[in-house]
Amino acid sequence: MPSRLRSSDPRASAEGGSSSADELTVRADGEEVRRASTWLDAACRERGVPPALVDRLVLCLNEVLANVIVHGGAGALAQPIGLVLEVTADPHGGLAGVTVSDAGVAFDPRSVAPRALPKSLEEASSGGLGLVMIRRHADWLEYRNQGGRNHVTFGARWKSP
Amino acid sequence: MSISYVDVGADLRRIVIAGRLDMPGTESVASQLIELAGAPKKAVIVDLTALKFLASIGIRALISCAKEVHKRGGKMVLVVNKASTVTMSLEATGVDELIPVFASVSDAEQAALV
Repeated sequence: MPSRLRSSDPRASAEGGSSSADELTVRADGEEVRRASTWLDAACRERGVPPALVDRLVLCLNEVLANVIVHGGAGALAQPIGLVLEVTADPHGGLAGVTVSDAGVAFDPRSVAPRALPKSLEEASSGGLGLVMIRRHADWLEYRNQGGRNHVTFGARWKSP
Repeated sequence: MSISYVDVGADLRRIVIAGRLDMPGTESVASQLIELAGAPKKAVIVDLTALKFLASIGIRALISCAKEVHKRGGKMVLVVNKASTVTMSLEATGVDELIPVFASVSDAEQAALV
């Protein structure tokens, strides 16, 4: 399914900045996570997001989508997942934010207390690594529940050299 | 996505994973990875230099593997390209402190057989 460009022509601002958004809808299954990753990677690069930040955003997207698929319940699996990328840039730098919306069990990822990294292999548990990854790689993480859907937004910012 | 292995002498097995350890990639190789690492070898190297992406589901598979190898008294180490997103994922989760990581296969072999 091709992505839908919500604002194909970036809007020039008085400060020489621009803002654009891109959207994609995916099903809640593993193969779709890969399609979403490919979309985000291409859409970010097209909008000039620095490659190192693109990698971080794609990692976060994988973790948020995996969380929806594994823990979101029947509601999450039955309804499409919405993805929106919003990029704002000016000569000084920019912001790239990704919003993932799903119809699964309400879950605010910020409600989970950060935990210390395991000190030994024996101590390492199999759960919670996805949230560790998101917290480490996203510059911000927001959540709202609206219209019976979770809306998780994460993003990264950069300064121009 | 591919997984292969080579036995180096009687004590060492090198497992090579290429592709993406995201959700579908990990689901396709996880059981084979555990099976290959379960061989009665003293040391196991998991070579991730051809891996393009490592999500938490892939990290969990690596942790499970390392635990299995440790349980039988063996040692598991990783080989990764230091300037890759794979390294980024290992560092973000602290797993690089739990499973020894090397930049070259020869260094990994030496360390694994100690």
